[in-house]
Amino acid sequence: MSIDFAQLEEVDGTRWTWLFWPTTKAAASQCVLPFACLFTPLRPLPNMPPPLPYPPVTSREGTVLNPYCSVDINARMWVCPFTFQRNQLPPQYASIPDNQLPSELIPEYTVVEYRLNRPPAPPPAFLFVLDTTVPEKQFTVVKEYLLKALSLLPPGTTVGLITYGQHLQVHEIGFTEGFRSYILRGNKSYDAASLQPLLGLGGASAAAGAGASAAAKQRADATAAGAHSKLAPPDRFLQPIQECEYMMATLLEGLQRDAWPVPADERPKRCTGAALAAAAALLECTYRGYGAHICLLQGGPCTEGPGTIVGPKLDEELRSHIDIEKDNAPHLKKALKHYDEVATRLVNAGHALSVFGCSLDQVGFYEMKACVDRTGGVFVMAESFEHDMFKRSFEKFFECDENGHLKRHFLATLEVDCSREFKIAGVIGPSASLEKKGPSVSTDTEIGIGGTCAWRIGSISPDTSLSVFFDVVNQQSNGIPENHYRYIQFRTTYQHSSGEFRMRVATHAGRWCDGNDLVTLAAGFDQEAAAVTMARLAAFRTENEEAFDILRWLDRLLIRLCARFGDYQKERPETFRLGPSMSFYPQFMYHLRRSALLQTFNTSPDESAFFRSHLCRVSTADGMLMIQPSLIQYSLESAPTPVLLDVASVRPDVVLFLDAFFYIVIFYGDTVAQWRKAGYHLQPNYRNLAELLEIPRRDAAACIAARFPYPRWVESDQYGSQARFLLAKLNPSATHTSGNVDVLSGSAAAEFIYTDDVSMEIFLEHLRRATVATT
Amino acid sequence: MFDWLWNLLSYLGLYYKNAKILFLGLDNAGKTTLMHVLKDDRLAQHVPTQHATSEEVILGNVRFRAFDLGGHEVARQIWRNYYTNVDAIVYIVDANDRERFPESKAELDRLLADEQLSDVPFLILGNKIDIPYAASEEELRTALGLHHLTTGKAGAPRGMNARGAKDVRPLEIFMCSVVRRMGYAEGFRWLASYL
Repeated sequence: MSIDFAQLEEVDGTRWTWLFWPTTKAAASQCVLPFACLFTPLRPLPNMPPPLPYPPVTSREGTVLNPYCSVDINARMWVCPFTFQRNQLPPQYASIPDNQLPSELIPEYTVVEYRLNRPPAPPPAFLFVLDTTVPEKQFTVVKEYLLKALSLLPPGTTVGLITYGQHLQVHEIGFTEGFRSYILRGNKSYDAASLQPLLGLGGASAAAGAGASAAAKQRADATAAGAHSKLAPPDRFLQPIQECEYMMATLLEGLQRDAWPVPADERPKRCTGAALAAAAALLECTYRGYGAHICLLQGGPCTEGPGTIVGPKLDEELRSHIDIEKDNAPHLKKALKHYDEVATRLVNAGHALSVFGCSLDQVGFYEMKACVDRTGGVFVMAESFEHDMFKRSFEKFFECDENGHLKRHFLATLEVDCSREFKIAGVIGPSASLEKKGPSVSTDTEIGIGGTCAWRIGSISPDTSLSVFFDVVNQQSNGIPENHYRYIQFRTTYQHSSGEFRMRVATHAGRWCDGNDLVTLAAGFDQEAAAVTMARLAAFRTENEEAFDILRWLDRLLIRLCARFGDYQKERPETFRLGPSMSFYPQFMYHLRRSALLQTFNTSPDESAFFRSHLCRVSTADGMLMIQPSLIQYSLESAPTPVLLDVASVRPDVVLFLDAFFYIVIFYGDTVAQWRKAGYHLQPNYRNLAELLEIPRRDAAACIAARFPYPRWVESDQYGSQARFLLAKLNPSATHTSGNVDVLSGSAAAEFIYTDDVSMEIFLEHLRRATVATT
Repeated sequence: MFDWLWNLLSYLGLYYKNAKILFLGLDNAGKTTLMHVLKDDRLAQHVPTQHATSEEVILGNVRFRAFDLGGHEVARQIWRNYYTNVDAIVYIVDANDRERFPESKAELDRLLADEQLSDVPFLILGNKIDIPYAASEEELRTALGLHHLTTGKAGAPRGMNARGAKDVRPLEIFMCSVVRRMGYAEGFRWLASYL
């Protein structure tokens, strides 16, 4: 009997590498792979009750009343399953009849959401930071899409605009007669203290606090189109859409591209780093502690001021992986430091940054990764603002639910508490540490962002997922009784896009098992969750380790896992078997090793940053697509059917649909392609061919309707140039060196791949040998 | 892949020369595959290149800084951003894709006409000759209109940098099969003589 882990995920939004945990530290380490949970804090759950209109009952330690607590109504006490402390129930729980339990105590409701008793937040702010050095045609499109965003956002949402080229410009939009903007130098960084006097923000106290030199700086740095005689309130820069829509439309319409001439051998001067620092500062002054999101729309790399990733001269090339490896990227360290500082300020203020980078070349995702990942923002990468990958992603970014509220919420805090037999080792995901110590925090193991039991997630949507790692610390001497459970509570407090503050509480009870009971342990192994967890760990390690070492490490763990849980006779590879709950894991590792998540050849640092950033925030199912894309075959003879991700699945008479998350491919076998070229599908008696061509496209469109970011859409005929998008993902079971390939026989020859890469079969054969040889 | 003598020479106290080269050509010509073979001596199936990437490749006594640029039509817009200080262009053509010879010729003509590249040596590689019925050197030379442009396979005369010696840009076509690891070594040896 196998466990349906995807179904369990519907219960509380968790997927576990291991569902059953061994009771001791020693036995846990023998399980080889970490004990981790892929948690989607705001996942829509079919069985969750509607939000509770009252605040949660909280223990002194911060844990929240839940169905696993033992409650003594008569004594008005409840005992927390984590701390075993007795806590008082509030008076209104004094007389609860058994058949009218409050929702949070009903056994099925292990996840509930509370409306917190706090005054609602002001409408969230979106501060757009727009690059004005993008090519003319694209500039028109991006302005058009900015306006579109205003129509997609709920009308109460507050918006603001900063534009930048060589200098940056903070636009006043809360003003009815004429346009005013503050032009700031692009070659310096800004924080709240230095920005306040420049923009006349924050009232007299702030101006005084900024010191006497601020006035001098103001004269030097800021040239206000109209000089202000007195300090104006911050809402000159951030206005509700309903108030400023016309103003913004007029402003954008008249907005010109950066006027500075660009010599032929230079890149445009772009002060992206300064613009972001100023954007963060503006929000620090006006929205600290409330939800706000910076949307950076950039058409090229930062070449001016703080955060520069490449100089303006074209004879200096953008850094590539080899430059980074050889420490030959002169701007890298300074840029990383700048964006890290901006990230820290965003995190402290509770804000997020999302970057829409639209260029044929790199724009600096690699350097900005901390700003996006630590704040819960997202990267969108497209070759142009005119491309669907930008347009459709940008629209999706502002998607609202059926109540007209944005699906993207704000300012979340994830807190985790757990039973004392294990500790929290850390988190990998779009978050930053809030450095909260506590008895649940592991002191000797740190995985990802550790040393804390609370994390900030500046922007969170229903599909935002994080990996939480645990460390079983229970010693042999401390026996855990039979039928004893391990408990974990995830508390996600967030600013709902409606302005309400809410807390979602998910309490999970898991089973312990005997560390020698390999059958039970293996039965609880979720190979997909494990593959995504290992992919995230590997991606996290790429920040400090060589790719080669990481692949070796993955191999070692795979061999050890197989040696521990496989069934085999020593030195006899042919006897090796893995149980059904683990049997796919080796092939997941095979595809992971080959994927652009870990391989850097033919991939820019920006692309790597982009892939890894998304890997660490998507659901288990989407993470699996990144590791091992799905492949579906369509033919005239049979219904659509999943086929092996193998070159053997490429046949002339089929259409294939590959979903690799970041791109999809619709691939027409040679015969089908020739029929299409001959126009058969247009003839009424070949309706079935027309359908064969149309259905995969329709299925693919449906499949990516909910996808963010919008993937690259590739259609290719067999032997076509773009077929490489498919071929690169296939297991090369037939190559140019295979005996069965006859390249001279023409088009009838079976498809094969030109590669020296080992096929999965050889990989698995090596794995079997290595496993049975372990001692 | 280069003969032992050549390797030996480079070890015998001859300092590496550094050279910036660009791999250009239409999409699916084999630029990335060649780059990978030169760098790691490994053949692999790659997805079409999106962002430009660069690698360090040492061939004989030249340390090449090779830039692999995307070849699809839109990506060609940024080729020019990489022309500054370039020492050589390696232009790769899929010799089996006759349909696209005119397109490939048009791109090549554009490069040859570019002032920034006016004295830069061009190595043209006719790739994929392992495929039966791929174009011959003669056919490709004709299709690309190179009959009066090629400067001979002998390379620069010994001890002389042909770029100074002649008024003509070195340009030659070599047929190769990257997947069979044939032909391109001669091309790079020819190219190196001009660096």
